[in-house]
Amino acid sequence: MKRSHDSDAWAHRALGGGLPVLLLVLWLAASETGMVAPYLLPHPKDVLATAASYVFGHGGQAGFAGRFVDDFSASIARVMLGFGLAVLVGLPLGILSGRLALVNRLLGTTINALRAVPGISWLPLALVWFGIGLKTTVFLVALAAFFPIYLNAEAGARQVNPTLLRAGAMMGVRRLRGTFAILLPAAMPNIITGLRLGLGISWAYLVLGELTGVPNGLGAMIMDARMLGRIDVIVVGIIFIAVIGRLCDVGLHQALRLAFKSARRLP
Amino acid sequence: MKPKLKIVSSRQRPADARAILEVEGLSKGFATNGAGEILVLNKVEFTVRKGEMVCIVGRSGCGKSTLLNILAGFTFPDRGRVRLRGRPVDRPAPDRCVVFQEDALFPWLTVRENIAFGLKTHSMSRRDKEREVDRFLALVGLTDFGGYLPSEISGGMKQRVALARVLILQPEVLLMDEPFAALDAQTREEMQDLLLHLWAKLTHSIVFVTHDVGEAVLLADRVLLFENAPGRVKEEIAIDLPRPREKDTGRYYALCRAITSKMKRV
Repeated sequence: MKRSHDSDAWAHRALGGGLPVLLLVLWLAASETGMVAPYLLPHPKDVLATAASYVFGHGGQAGFAGRFVDDFSASIARVMLGFGLAVLVGLPLGILSGRLALVNRLLGTTINALRAVPGISWLPLALVWFGIGLKTTVFLVALAAFFPIYLNAEAGARQVNPTLLRAGAMMGVRRLRGTFAILLPAAMPNIITGLRLGLGISWAYLVLGELTGVPNGLGAMIMDARMLGRIDVIVVGIIFIAVIGRLCDVGLHQALRLAFKSARRLP
Repeated sequence: MKPKLKIVSSRQRPADARAILEVEGLSKGFATNGAGEILVLNKVEFTVRKGEMVCIVGRSGCGKSTLLNILAGFTFPDRGRVRLRGRPVDRPAPDRCVVFQEDALFPWLTVRENIAFGLKTHSMSRRDKEREVDRFLALVGLTDFGGYLPSEISGGMKQRVALARVLILQPEVLLMDEPFAALDAQTREEMQDLLLHLWAKLTHSIVFVTHDVGEAVLLADRVLLFENAPGRVKEEIAIDLPRPREKDTGRYYALCRAITSKMKRV
């Protein structure tokens, strides 16, 4: 019984890998039959070779050989800094705004107006304010990640069943402890959604920030490749960002589940 | 008008004659959309003695829940006051605990953790707390279900947990807002038995809100008949049936019939 349940779970998980495999097969077929010219989309084996050299190669072999570790660590540091800032500001403000009408009034209009501004419009301003490099990228990432984190935390806090808060109050829970013992756990499903969306969009804005002439990072690598006409490197960059983004999402979700009962136990 | 209390000789669990909960001249209105303010409670007066079970019976919309919310300290009356042991009630506290009609357990905590929740701030040793939780798990018959989540147990079991998590705090008054209304008939009877059993064992008073006359006659020392819109104590009926009570007796049915016909006139 247990065994079949386990194998079901595995089958379920494997299902998520089906589409990427299908895309890979289609890509392979398109390249092998010559339906798609290599200068539009390189052959998978060329891309694989480029990826291997990008990760394992030594500097000097070719333009992009061995840059991975440097690019990756630069990018992940920027994402974590920006995302961390967004969490630090967005989560408390969102919770407060979901519970206190005054805070909601105070922030709601401004935040919803700013939300309508596409992130890319901030880029020129950010460049003027912060110059090229770390600060601009972190600013863009933090700004972009802030909105989903704030909005979902707000919705979660607002939708908490008031009876749960009353139940806590009658059992002698004061406001501050109630926030951590009842409000946050009850809002956890929304908070998780916000954090995952925020981290996802962090990667998107990371690349935007890194397109502006920073020397390293996955976005910079894609930009360099574009200037050099290295389509294969661009494809490698896209795949790497997709894979790393997905891994970060899984890692974030697992970390939350590990740290919070409510993240483990609520659907 | 002070309610006249009838001393009931056949009560097997004599209630302390002292009133611990006093409700005086309670009125409350709500603003509505367009219709101005409607009065939901109008000069509600009654007292509850120590160890007494008082059932408030009335049709839906007669302000029963509003009254219970005021007693719990969740909302406040426009006029009048509530006192517990002479002290005014001005906020929720563990001396007046509520068993809600709906499922109000913390869904991310296990049965055991839900029951232990209110003890967290108590200055008891960890071992004493564990022992106390075990005792109340056993009292409500859930010893084997401590590790389950609320979503994994039945409605009746959830209300058992809801009872245990507040009784463990030793409230002076247990406030119950149609707690068994959503349960099936058989489970409801089991829960009524359990409630009476726990009430006999522990020394709290109970204010039990229901629209089920049969339930009120089965449980109550006294029934307060509530008048509709605005809510007011229309009549007080002492239930002098001996305990444990049987449902299929002439006296039981006579009382049910009498109260039901009074309700119709309300």
